[in-house]
Amino acid sequence: MRKMPSVLAACALAVSLIGAPALAKTPSDQLIIGMSMNNLLSLDPAGATGNDVVEINANLYDSLVELDPVNTYKVMPALAESWAIADDKRSITFKLRRGVKFHSGNPLTAQDAAWSLQRVLKLNLALASVWKGYGFTAQNAETSIQAPDAQTLVIRLPEATDPKLVIYTLATSVSAVVLDSKKVMANEKDGDLGRTWLTTNEAGSGPFVFNEWRQKDVLMMTRFDGYWRGAPKLRRVLLRHMTESQTLRLMLERGDIDVANGMSVPDVEAMKKNPAIVVESVQRGNVYYVAMSVKDQKFADKRVRQAIRSLIDYDGINKTVMPNYGVFHQRPVALGLPATLPEPGYRLDVPAAKKLLAEAGFPNGFKTSIRVLSDPPFINIATSLQSTLALAGIDASVIPGTGNQVYGAMRDRSFEIIVGRGGGGAEPHPHSNLRSLVYNPDNRDEAKLTNFQGWRTSFISPEINALIEKAEVEADEKKQLAMYQDVQKLYDQQVGAIQPVSQMIDTVVLQKDIRNFRGHPAATTHWRDVYKQR
Amino acid sequence: MTTLALPAFSSRRMGGLGRRLAIVAVTLLGLLAMTFFIGRVMPLDPVLSIVGSDADHSTYEQVYKQLGLDQPLYVQFGYYLRDLLHGDLGRSLMSGNPVTTDILRVFPATIELATLAILFGTCVGVPLGVFAATHKGRLGDQVVRVISLCGYSVPVFWFGMMGLIIFYAWLGWAGGAGRVDLAYDGLVQSRTGLLLIDSALAGEWEVFRNALKYITLPACILGLHSMAYIARMTRSFMLNQLNQEYIITARVKGLSEREVIWNHAFRNILVQLLTIVALAYGSLLEGAVLIETVFAWPGFGSYLTSSLLLGDMNAVMGCVLLIGIIFVTLNLVADALYQVFDPRTR
Repeated sequence: MRKMPSVLAACALAVSLIGAPALAKTPSDQLIIGMSMNNLLSLDPAGATGNDVVEINANLYDSLVELDPVNTYKVMPALAESWAIADDKRSITFKLRRGVKFHSGNPLTAQDAAWSLQRVLKLNLALASVWKGYGFTAQNAETSIQAPDAQTLVIRLPEATDPKLVIYTLATSVSAVVLDSKKVMANEKDGDLGRTWLTTNEAGSGPFVFNEWRQKDVLMMTRFDGYWRGAPKLRRVLLRHMTESQTLRLMLERGDIDVANGMSVPDVEAMKKNPAIVVESVQRGNVYYVAMSVKDQKFADKRVRQAIRSLIDYDGINKTVMPNYGVFHQRPVALGLPATLPEPGYRLDVPAAKKLLAEAGFPNGFKTSIRVLSDPPFINIATSLQSTLALAGIDASVIPGTGNQVYGAMRDRSFEIIVGRGGGGAEPHPHSNLRSLVYNPDNRDEAKLTNFQGWRTSFISPEINALIEKAEVEADEKKQLAMYQDVQKLYDQQVGAIQPVSQMIDTVVLQKDIRNFRGHPAATTHWRDVYKQR
Repeated sequence: MTTLALPAFSSRRMGGLGRRLAIVAVTLLGLLAMTFFIGRVMPLDPVLSIVGSDADHSTYEQVYKQLGLDQPLYVQFGYYLRDLLHGDLGRSLMSGNPVTTDILRVFPATIELATLAILFGTCVGVPLGVFAATHKGRLGDQVVRVISLCGYSVPVFWFGMMGLIIFYAWLGWAGGAGRVDLAYDGLVQSRTGLLLIDSALAGEWEVFRNALKYITLPACILGLHSMAYIARMTRSFMLNQLNQEYIITARVKGLSEREVIWNHAFRNILVQLLTIVALAYGSLLEGAVLIETVFAWPGFGSYLTSSLLLGDMNAVMGCVLLIGIIFVTLNLVADALYQVFDPRTR
């Protein structure tokens, strides 16, 4: 007992040392974003594979053109002041603005823009796929992408395509940002075109300058005072690695972070009741889907696919599982595009499914498996599907895994059913979705068209393929629109192997005093105009 | 006699040391081989982690070859061992950094956290265990046993979340996630990587105070598990000693209870205690993944886990090697301390 006073004194000292309770607030000129950086592997724009790195690069670099975050069809000038599509629709000429400087102080020229695009093709990393889809290759890169002078960039399309689509890609893909070629080449190692250096560095002209990235910890950037649009209002942007949703929530409530990405649905719902917090959702181009492998004899039968289509509880899933993840949508073309047809009205219809299964020779159902990511909402969709399949006698086992395992199996064509997410859609153009989800120009295994999800399911329709190809090059917008609508009707009739369930939305939770934070559908959210109203 | 005995003694010692080093080398090699081959048969594809699930086949193949995955497994392992003998743990497939650089970056954060945690666990656990043993069956003993049971069986992430809600969100005593306020981040030059020590060395007492505010809660929660284990074991060891005849003799001789407990009984459990504290410390260094996740602590555990989930086997192998070395070293240190504290083992 004699020691009690000294113990109490020690406790009091510890408390006073640590500090009294006070509601923290982030500095008014800094933006602190809490998010998971688990998938942030490289800052190189050519190898960007996730939305996080897309958003970061959109603020370190500039692109030739941008898409308006609200009116997403509206292409706005950025580094390019103007552009013109040739009459034959086989080339696009961009006129670049003068006086733009990189963070290094080097002047930004059309040669840098050409070099940056050529680099993507020569390195053949993740984002080269979209350019290869337009016919660009490492071999034709230098002839098809040229800069005749410092302010002019000419892109010649190696294959006939819709030039609008290419412009949309230039506006939304971080592979199209302009790199400081001199700085990158000064850091080249063993002919890697600066790939190793760019993993943890940048060579951009964007509104923010990269400072430091401690992987799975923090990434810092400060404003670029020489930015051609004028210096951003924020002095610093910090991204902090936080994976636990409840920690994000507590830190938001305490005011220790300004923006939280990747919060769980219960936490987002709780934050909606907090008057100091704003919850914003932005629609993405991807869809959540149920995919069947037509390589499997059961699903090769159209009636079985149709039965599965009638065994998905679209309403239940969208009302209970998908809030803050997605919104009701059943078409392969993204919700809201002019070409998108009204919803077809698929619904859970067990008697119809049973009838179809009986006609297909499965009156008592069959056994199958559902591969799915172990995270919500995927696993919840799979669980719902498992229970509704059981209503028609289909005994489906759920095989949860990481994205790597699930999509790996899909790329290997070794699955029966997958609950997944995908479908292009970064470009607000039906071709982007259809190419990813439906198009399958060569169904042979050895073709290995692994970037086409249509190929992964082994579903092929020569009629649909031909129509997609025709629509892509159709110059008349009305005719093109009608063709894309016909593709959707055909896909409906032929019962495609990928059945969309929900259009993806991304939810961001932020402090109420933050202004001009507009989430972009293509993940290229710009922070240059963001400020805090205090 | 002395001149004759000394060489014989030395050669025996040297032989023992050589044998021990050989065992350590074989243990580490076995550990690496198992990790390597298990890692390669796991259904995780590092190429997909790099190129993304939408990459086309030519990109996939290109990266697959760049990573050397087209070589037979034994060739890949051979290359790894060759590089390892040259002190090269390879590059992390994901971060592009040398694995050594990555580990040197994340490990000090874990050392700092684990050291404070084990200090908390030992300083609280040992007196609690002794108290429980000397009050066996009484209320104090029951309370300590309940505390130990809770500390041992309640999931650490639950304690973490509760700790954050109470001490961070409600009371504001603790820092939130991370090692320090972002406003202080980068103010102190990293010398040891241990933020408390670096800030003290730099005389940046405000940063020190802030870092202490951040580390106290996760360290105490992490230490809670060790504390429970150490308290239970201390109680058990002490009870065993207190029933020995030499304790009765000491009491009969008229020694005070304090002397009997601390100078006689406790001294005899020191060797066993050292072993369990050393192993508990090793477990903490291995990585407190859940606490690191809840508190967004940029440490070794979360680095190892995320590397494993992405199939980054160079990073995983480097981490496993380090864990192996930690445990081997702690065992060697515990063995050496046995000889200091227990004359019978000399």
